Amino acid sequence: MTTPEKSSDDQQKWEPRIVAFCCNWCSYAGADLAGTSRIQYPPNARIIRVNCTGRISPDFILAPLEMGADGVLVSGCHPGDCHYTSGNLKLRARWALLESAIEQAGIDPRRIRLQWASASEAQIFADGVRMFTEQVRRLGPMRRVWR
Amino acid sequence: MAENTEPRIGVFVCHCGHNIAGSVDVERVAKAAESFPNVVYSTHEMFMCSDAGQALIREKVREKNLNRVVVASCSPRMHEPTFRRVVEEAGLNRYLFEQVNLREHVSWCHMREPEKATEKAIDLVRMSVARAAQLEHLPVKTVKVLPRTLVVGGGIAGLRAACDIADRGFEVVLVERQSKLGGHVAKWTHLFPADESGWQVIAPLLRNVTRHPLIKVLTDSQVVGFEGYIGNFVARVKNLKTGKEESYEVGTVIVATGFEPFKPYGYYGYGESKDIVTLAELQELRPREDLLRPSDGKPVKKLVFIGCVGSREPGKPGHEHCSRHCCSAVAKAASDLRDRVDEVLILYQDIRTYGRGHEELYRLARSKHVIYSKFPRDNKPEVTVTKSGKIRVTWHDVLSGDDMMYEPDMLVLASAMVPPPDAADVSKLFSLTRSGDGFFNPEHIKLAPLTTHTAGVMIAGAAQAAKNASESVIDASGAAAKAVGLMARGEVEIESTVSHVISELCSSCRTCVTACPYGAISMDNSRDPPVALVTEAKCHGCGTCAAACPSSAIVMYHSTDQQIMAMVEAFLCTPTAVAGGGGS
Repeated sequence: MTTPEKSSDDQQKWEPRIVAFCCNWCSYAGADLAGTSRIQYPPNARIIRVNCTGRISPDFILAPLEMGADGVLVSGCHPGDCHYTSGNLKLRARWALLESAIEQAGIDPRRIRLQWASASEAQIFADGVRMFTEQVRRLGPMRRVWR
Repeated sequence: MAENTEPRIGVFVCHCGHNIAGSVDVERVAKAAESFPNVVYSTHEMFMCSDAGQALIREKVREKNLNRVVVASCSPRMHEPTFRRVVEEAGLNRYLFEQVNLREHVSWCHMREPEKATEKAIDLVRMSVARAAQLEHLPVKTVKVLPRTLVVGGGIAGLRAACDIADRGFEVVLVERQSKLGGHVAKWTHLFPADESGWQVIAPLLRNVTRHPLIKVLTDSQVVGFEGYIGNFVARVKNLKTGKEESYEVGTVIVATGFEPFKPYGYYGYGESKDIVTLAELQELRPREDLLRPSDGKPVKKLVFIGCVGSREPGKPGHEHCSRHCCSAVAKAASDLRDRVDEVLILYQDIRTYGRGHEELYRLARSKHVIYSKFPRDNKPEVTVTKSGKIRVTWHDVLSGDDMMYEPDMLVLASAMVPPPDAADVSKLFSLTRSGDGFFNPEHIKLAPLTTHTAGVMIAGAAQAAKNASESVIDASGAAAKAVGLMARGEVEIESTVSHVISELCSSCRTCVTACPYGAISMDNSRDPPVALVTEAKCHGCGTCAAACPSSAIVMYHSTDQQIMAMVEAFLCTPTAVAGGGGS
């Protein structure tokens, strides 16, 4: 086998590695419901449960990217529907800064995604994971590019 | 305390019968876990939640001297309490338990990709093992439960719950927004399955409630503020007439805010003729010998009912559910009215007379020659109101395959039960989540249908889902039993997962004070410089402060930065992952 073939083989084998943070009350429950409803979606995301998306500090997004994650997904309660009344709004405020910060660090901001999915929105949760996985797949393995 | 000793982790992988093992190679997962750092024992078992599974955990904790337990099974939202109890029985602190969700998050949603599902399962177990190594012993705290319940809503469910609780010797504060108690049921002329009026059913309950020395009734009132935690809530109640507000300290809450009969504008000519009414409106007509047309007061000879109005409409938010009461209520109303009019037709999509005594109502209607005609789901009947005010119904009869036309004197629409318009406000007030149709979610649909994710707050009746009066009463008594259970015990355990300020690291910037949604953080001015201080009883454990603190001075117990980062690292920085994912 020649080297180019092997590397295209590797390319084929490459699967996006995605860290997903879900809040316990909405999206983690939504992901549970997706399972209970047998909704099928790509197996690339590894879900980490946090009580509230407000718990997610910028570090939780930056560190995984630094460690080579191809994407980071955060899924929480809809604005106005937070179990802790407003934690998700605090995260939303941080998010705008995060997007510009990672861009400045040479990381495509499409590698991070913030979505809202309630405990009953299993399909929205699953669709979000599918959409994001495909988006990250198109971007390819994690690398930094400065424009 | 296990803090200073090396972690000794036991991993227990559950087959859940075929549920997990059907798509995930559980043996491979258990085998892989053996090599993870700090794991001293790893196995797989058919059902970890069974007695045998629980006994296995207890036995291995002793035998292998485990000080951390990881169970890879279903969602922790389901069995975390079970396994926490098991590790406690084995002599470990409950916070030294960690659960991996291999069922809802892996096997059930990647059923056609067993290889990738197994890889994901191994990753998740590796991540949880890494987190487990970082877990800390936390004290188990208890708080007192005030012996008083707040019941929100004075309909049939609220009244029943209030009676049950007061009869058991606990105080009740019953808040009703309307001037009168009794809700929808009090207004209805005929209830099914027994032939009683709503008032006949409500009156004895009402008498009991208004006379009971332990029940304080607040009509024309609304809960406008709610804070605190299980056993120790403070509710602010506003009198809508006087505008005065008063606070009540309560230990438990039952939300029985009910439903609203859907006003089906845009359906079947509703609103275009006075003779087109909803089933609820028909029920509220003054009872009398013969049925009179609302428009001109002439006796009705030909009557038509249409079912599933605003119910069972896939893809239409808020109207996807079956409203459950209508099929039986229509059968009952049709057979009653059949004696007074010449002809009664029921146009239906499906008939679901599911409850005790309900099928008999359907048979009664049939025996009285009420005509049932099925229309197709995707081709609903059409109703036109002519200039002269005549109602014309055309539809396709599925069973005969014929197109039909009929001109009834009166048309009754069995409209949906929908949540009241302010259900969103109520859900925010009590931190309840709602289903796609807008009803309040129970803690667990099968195992905990009356409790919610806000500990100490129960739901009952049509606030939880569309249901009939008898089912609402069953809920109410159940929710009352839940509230009484908490109050009779007198104290309950609460989560120790609160935040804590390391005062040496605090830079007194007050960011956390503004970040906290509960006002649980204040500045301790007795210190110089002042440092942030968490009032643990007010902390709900969201961790927003920990994320906001620029000095990393706040520890969110059981969800520390180290615990979360350990999971991220375990996923991304494993030797195999580095070898496999190496590239520029």
